[in-house]
Amino acid sequence: MDEYLVQVLSNIGMISFLALSAYILLITGEISFGQQAFFAIGAYASGIATAMWGWGFWPGLVWGAAAAGAAAFLLAWPTLRMRGLFFAIGTLAFAEMVRLIFEIFRYQVEIDGELVGPNGSEGFRGIRYIFEQDISAFHYMLLIYAVLAGVLALLFVIERTRLGAIWRMLGEDELLAETEGVNRTYYKVLATVVAGAVAGIGGALYAHMNTYLEPKIFNVMLGVHSLAYGLIGGLGTAFGPLIGVGIDIGLLESARIFSGYRMIVFGGLVALLLIFRPRGLLDEAAVHALVAWWRNTFSSPAKRSGGSGRPPERPGA
Amino acid sequence: MLELRGLSKHFGGVRAVDGLDVTVERGQIFGLIGPNGSGKSTTVNLVCGVFPVTAGSVSFEGAEITNSPPHVALGNGIARTFQNIRLFSELTVWQNLWVAQNGQESVRSQGFFSRWLSGNRGQRASVEEQLEFSGLADKRDEPAGSLAFGEQRRLELARALAARPKLLLLDEPAAGMNLEEVKQLDERLRWLNEQQGITILLVEHVMELVMGVTHRIAALNFGRKIAEGSPAEIQQNQAVQEAYLGRSEEEGDEGGGSS
Ligand SMILES: Nc1ncnc2c1ncn2[C@@H]1O[C@H](COP(=O)(O)OP(=O)(O)O)[C@@H](O)[C@H]1O
Ligand SMILES: [Mg+2]
Repeated sequence: MDEYLVQVLSNIGMISFLALSAYILLITGEISFGQQAFFAIGAYASGIATAMWGWGFWPGLVWGAAAAGAAAFLLAWPTLRMRGLFFAIGTLAFAEMVRLIFEIFRYQVEIDGELVGPNGSEGFRGIRYIFEQDISAFHYMLLIYAVLAGVLALLFVIERTRLGAIWRMLGEDELLAETEGVNRTYYKVLATVVAGAVAGIGGALYAHMNTYLEPKIFNVMLGVHSLAYGLIGGLGTAFGPLIGVGIDIGLLESARIFSGYRMIVFGGLVALLLIFRPRGLLDEAAVHALVAWWRNTFSSPAKRSGGSGRPPERPGA
Repeated sequence: MLELRGLSKHFGGVRAVDGLDVTVERGQIFGLIGPNGSGKSTTVNLVCGVFPVTAGSVSFEGAEITNSPPHVALGNGIARTFQNIRLFSELTVWQNLWVAQNGQESVRSQGFFSRWLSGNRGQRASVEEQLEFSGLADKRDEPAGSLAFGEQRRLELARALAARPKLLLLDEPAAGMNLEEVKQLDERLRWLNEQQGITILLVEHVMELVMGVTHRIAALNFGRKIAEGSPAEIQQNQAVQEAYLGRSEEEGDEGGGSS
């Protein structure tokens, strides 16, 4: 496989985690400009684990996700008291704070006569686990997609359960959801933590592919993009944000047709979609229509209706 | 059953509710009337914890629940409807009744990962029951947003009942209904109260409904209680008549029917 193609596909895979992270919050009705902070925390934490503490890749990945999830939990308490715009600004401020902390964060140890570890704005070099294990770029790409498939599967399961229903209830009408018994704070904190952990996984994968981390990569533009992916691709299903990533990185960035104008095209695309399809290409209505079409075409009519149980016998009203 | 003591809510300079004392006994249908802007909806919102009180207290079944958030109120057995209908308009009628159960304590304790749209048999039976009672069984697969106004009102009531409340707060449930629909609602409220033992706090403008169905009524004006008594007493009450007539001369009484 072409080296360049592998690189593009790997990027699409890794950024997808960030897009999914923003998506989880979007379906619960919160706009976060700060998911790149959890991507960064996952990247640094897992890099420290494998390069400095001698952990394996998988424990490092889990640790990266856990650290990002824990940071999200800390963020969730103050910011979820804020609503709407204030939440968006709160997450933005938090993410910038995290980036600035990494700019001054120094934690190095000597390994084989060489200093390894985060060195402030100089960055964090030498996350070499994947190369030491002789894993090819192609195999690492497969690994990224395997993890992505796992996270997607989990999100699909969640969307089929009560938890997913409650998240979407909160996203559509918070007061109504609360009136129907939903503990808003609890479920929003949960969404924030899951979203943080998903971004952390992406960060861990990124750190090990790149071998080198620089605080300035995790800037606001990364957060804005990850937010835009869900809005472009659609909020009806977890596939939506992936379509958004594919369009941006796959078409706009990689095809290079638009070269220097990429950001303008991207911005224009977002603006057009917000006008004509405010909840993205694969929005809820599109997903419902697709599911209905699928059922009508492929399953027996008896199974179709939501509630097939007979109503219990009761005196008439 | 429900006790409001010195309940107050000020929005900036507006005293929406001002030192309100009301006691609703178990088994009653209690009417809350008053001209537009007299603080009726605000009172309902305070009972449900939509926003914090400025002063005073709310107790339910002897326990103080002042400022408990809406989901706690529901857990305590207080369900409500909204003056401006609130439904998940993209979801179907069936799904609206279904999701209404997801937040409830008894259902939540079954765990996150019990399946959503098929779910367990008890819950499904409960949805079917509400569908049947509300006469919406044939609309089950239609999006709530596409229903006629009266049907949306019925669905909202069914949604509140799906929580099996002890106390039901209805905020102008007859607004915009025709006479036939009001009559149906009247029968339904009586049935809920007498057969199901549900206590009801009825905020209403339509006097035909309030005067016929309630056991006791409190009248508000400018956030204060100006009268309380049986429907007959309220109809005779001088202050109530003035509050309604005074308003209707100045700014036109949208409630109508206050003869
Ligand atoms: N959320 C709010 N913010 C500011 N003022 C409000 C709010 N809700 C109600 N009010 C004001 O409080 C007063 C009482 O309103 P409301 O309780 O809706 O009256 P009613 O239901 O009896 O018509 C009105 O003057 C209204 O403008
Ligand atoms: Mg009102």
